Amino acid sequence: MIVTKSWLSEYLDLDRISNDDIYRCLNSIGLEVDSIKDITIPKGVVVGEILSCSKHPNADKLNVCSINIGADEPVQIVCGAKNVVDAKFVAVATIGAKLGDDFEIKEAVLRDVDSFGMVCSSSELGLPELNDGIMILDDSIGELIVGKELSQYLTIADTIIEIELTANRGDCLSINGVARDLSVGLNRKLIPQEFKPKALENISIDDVAHIDMKDFLNADLSYSLVTGRDIETNLLIELRKAFVGIESKDRLDGLIKYSTHSTGVILRAYDASLFKNAKDRVEIELSSRESGIVEIIANDSVLSTLGVNQEPHSRAINITKKILIEASYIEPTLLVDAVSQKDYTTDEKYYNTSRGSEPELKLGIENILTLLEKNSNSTFLNGTIEVSSNRKKVSLNISNSDINNIIGMDIEKTQNIKILRNLGFEVNSAKADILNILVPHSRPDIKNIYDITEEIVRIIGIDNIPAKSFSFEEKMRLNSTSDKYRAKKEIRNRAISASFYETLSYIFANSDKLDKYGFERVEKELELLNPITQEFDALRTTMMTNLLDSVERNISYGKKSIALFEIGTIFDTKREEREVMSFVFSGNSTNENITNSGKPQTIDFAKFVEKLGAVIGNFELIPTTQTNALIHPYQSADIIIDGKVAGYLSKLHPNPKEDYDLFETFIAQIELDAILPKHINAHQISNFQGVYKDLSLVIDENISAKELMDTIKALNIEMLKDFYIVDIYQDEKLGSNKSISLRFYIQSMEKTLKDKDINKITSNLLKQLEEKFDASLR
Amino acid sequence: MENLKDNILKADTLEALEGLRIEIFGKRGILSKEFIKLKDIPPQEKKAFAQNLNEQKEKLQSVFDDRYKEVKKIEIENILKSEKIDVSLYSNISNKASLHPVMETMDKIIDYFVSMNFAVESGPVVEDDFHNFEALNLPKYHPARDMQDTFFCGDGKLLRTHTSPVQIRTMKNSTPPIRMIAPGSVFRRDYDVTHTPMFHQIEGLVVDKKGVVSFANLKSILIDFLQYMFGDVEVRFRPSFFPFTEPSAEVDISCIFCEAKGCRICSHTGWLEVLGCGVVDPNVFDAVGYKDVSGYAFGLGIERFAMLLHRVPDLRTLFEGDIRLMEQFR
Repeated sequence: MIVTKSWLSEYLDLDRISNDDIYRCLNSIGLEVDSIKDITIPKGVVVGEILSCSKHPNADKLNVCSINIGADEPVQIVCGAKNVVDAKFVAVATIGAKLGDDFEIKEAVLRDVDSFGMVCSSSELGLPELNDGIMILDDSIGELIVGKELSQYLTIADTIIEIELTANRGDCLSINGVARDLSVGLNRKLIPQEFKPKALENISIDDVAHIDMKDFLNADLSYSLVTGRDIETNLLIELRKAFVGIESKDRLDGLIKYSTHSTGVILRAYDASLFKNAKDRVEIELSSRESGIVEIIANDSVLSTLGVNQEPHSRAINITKKILIEASYIEPTLLVDAVSQKDYTTDEKYYNTSRGSEPELKLGIENILTLLEKNSNSTFLNGTIEVSSNRKKVSLNISNSDINNIIGMDIEKTQNIKILRNLGFEVNSAKADILNILVPHSRPDIKNIYDITEEIVRIIGIDNIPAKSFSFEEKMRLNSTSDKYRAKKEIRNRAISASFYETLSYIFANSDKLDKYGFERVEKELELLNPITQEFDALRTTMMTNLLDSVERNISYGKKSIALFEIGTIFDTKREEREVMSFVFSGNSTNENITNSGKPQTIDFAKFVEKLGAVIGNFELIPTTQTNALIHPYQSADIIIDGKVAGYLSKLHPNPKEDYDLFETFIAQIELDAILPKHINAHQISNFQGVYKDLSLVIDENISAKELMDTIKALNIEMLKDFYIVDIYQDEKLGSNKSISLRFYIQSMEKTLKDKDINKITSNLLKQLEEKFDASLR
Repeated sequence: MENLKDNILKADTLEALEGLRIEIFGKRGILSKEFIKLKDIPPQEKKAFAQNLNEQKEKLQSVFDDRYKEVKKIEIENILKSEKIDVSLYSNISNKASLHPVMETMDKIIDYFVSMNFAVESGPVVEDDFHNFEALNLPKYHPARDMQDTFFCGDGKLLRTHTSPVQIRTMKNSTPPIRMIAPGSVFRRDYDVTHTPMFHQIEGLVVDKKGVVSFANLKSILIDFLQYMFGDVEVRFRPSFFPFTEPSAEVDISCIFCEAKGCRICSHTGWLEVLGCGVVDPNVFDAVGYKDVSGYAFGLGIERFAMLLHRVPDLRTLFEGDIRLMEQFR
């Protein structure tokens, strides 16, 4: 909503109120100021009266004017604008006036004719462009005094204030509405609006027109008939329309919009001849639909839906002879519900009607008639014909102490009453603590004590409410979600220590990529209907493609070692959500620096696994069951934590590596729940010395490390505290066998072991492995 | 003996000293040999001879020990010198990465509210109309509920447009008093310089008996919170409108970039808008079946906080995994 200070001044006395006061007040009463801009007219630009105007002797397109600028003698000015010949009063930039940083008006000779100044167009003065050619002044901007500085006319050197209105404040979608609120905030009286059109015809509207209403209408309407003649809008209206952004091609339409912007009353103009019935009377048929929607009908054809739209052909324009002016009000909630149920085409007025327009129709009708009187030779039929729903005002009985409890501050009842009365509420207080409140029709948003409290809060000013800390009963509020956040924070911190950068990517993925790389998709009927772009047209079932996109970008930025992780939500085919942690590592395994002579090793399986371990702790690896096309068939694994598959890791398959144009890259995805900290009980530690014993076994090359390890584990040898593979060897002599070196740590809880004890254990071990795998000592 | 002493004093390596130790003090060393002579010495001279020999031995031992310490010191000195490096070569070679500024900011905010005895709650990102809109006093066709802003799924569900549905879920699953925050990702169909289709919010809700929780309480915690986040800033409350709170306010802090003098970032107003808040609207309590309660709620965008705190210039880079941005936070 854009208002101007001079326009507000028509409704509210703003004498000695500074722009800063207005800015502060609007913000503090909840009308957020987006911008506030002063129009500055350069010094030395004055009102000039054109005394004569003749063709330039040496140039067809120029005129030589003699202009009275309030000096002793008229000045001669050469002017190039065509419309100067129609002008009487104009804005003259006199010698010395600065119209820009490097544009000072000087004496000039134009094709042998002296010129002492410049006749200005609106845009040359920093105003919006209003027309081709120069700006022609009229007394709509104030009494025209020749020689008076134009900057003294506050209608031109106005202040433009743009307010960001919240959706509940339809009452402030007009100058009138903003002024009403501001008057309470500034504690200034409103100026009563008295419009008394003089050009009344002798005929009363009742004699020629009537309303034909079949049902009860939950709406208010008021009609007036105008005989239109020579509509020409004055400078002030054109200027203000431009300031606040009203666009209209037709002059009558421009006036209608100007009037609505001014008063907030919704107005429409019809070609009255369409309503003429067989008896040559204007017959307006109003019909109410079940939903409460009201249609305006003429000779069986619907010309308009109240508050919603109007048939273009029914619109009166500036050459229409007989104009039917309509002012209307319908409750926004009724309208919004009804419109949503049917597919109505809504026009620009719906923005106002759906938020609540001004219900004081008289104000609107009188305003538009006055504007027409000032800007045309139109005449008006006496009176209006009206329909009123006689809607009752909302009545609220509210306890003053309840209001104070919501605010948290003691406010005297009398002060609350005063604030509400100033805002247009009728308030009585018979009982000690109770306020009986009648809500004005212009505030359909006020329905309960909270709405009333909000009114009081914004007028008092939130900054004037002292902050008070809240006392509450103590309670343990740590829960599984807070535990999870704490654990995640720890995991994330480990990941960054292991050189992975934390990233965030969108919860969306590209469906083509998901398909291409063999990832599942959310079932079609559960999928996004209105994706933001083609690039992100699906809910992600993996975050891997997003991470690879990031790697690709980083490589293009010249990065050589790219390690990223993300913890986030992914979906399954049924759109069930779960949190996973994904990793990607591409290129150099560490930074280039002195320790690696600038040639760090490329990431490989072992290094990746080690880094992963630094983040998520111990895990086992088994050949993967994953089938997506990012997986390298021979360097990939399922990650086993506590005996369960918790995710996978893999070298990136050469195909996607080529698609994305990446370095050697490794990826991993782990279920977040699997790596959250678990409760652990300690085992007793032996105080006796243990021994390390290495055995190199020759076994079939097809036996996996895991198989071997699982078998040893299953032997359940009590004194075997730990064992792990330290070497693998294969050569031609071994044929289809391989040699695996295992290191065993053997320790007793009861004594220091002797050689024979140890040998007993190892020989038993060997025997079992011989039986199971045909293993032999190397 | 003087000879031996000279030899000890001349020895300049631990190795040479060890040789001398064996030569002089060893089992078959010079001194042992001298002591062997004792048995051939006449008994009356024995005592004097032995005494003299012991004195000599003690002197030599003392000379040796002193020399050993000296040489050891020199040798260690030499080892140390030989191990000299230019430590400055090893500056900044860490491979540590960094947390994402948005997540790090979220952590900081969570820490504050947990310390103020708020519970942390969460909810699904795919929501239904009731939890995301209806229960929050955003009836269908409400002007504040712009279809263009919401991502819809084929079955009528939607991606939550704010973290507020977690309030509704928490209220339905528990009873007052409630004191909770809900951090998480939210989604709106908006994509330009200042909007990304996904961003993060933290929502706060306090509910207690009727007449207990007030707007003044809300002011108190938010001023404290914003000063914890941004330091010594002024906090301004402006009345505003949200469907789920009433009275509602938007909260500004004095511009941290220009000390409220007015700059490009604060649009020359001296103020930065940082969050929205208000007293919980009775319609929200009705929707979850709460009676005779009072409460306040607030919500903020974490990206906004992160960008202000860390002066991140472009919102969209936050979602691109751009290491050039993130390595600055190592």
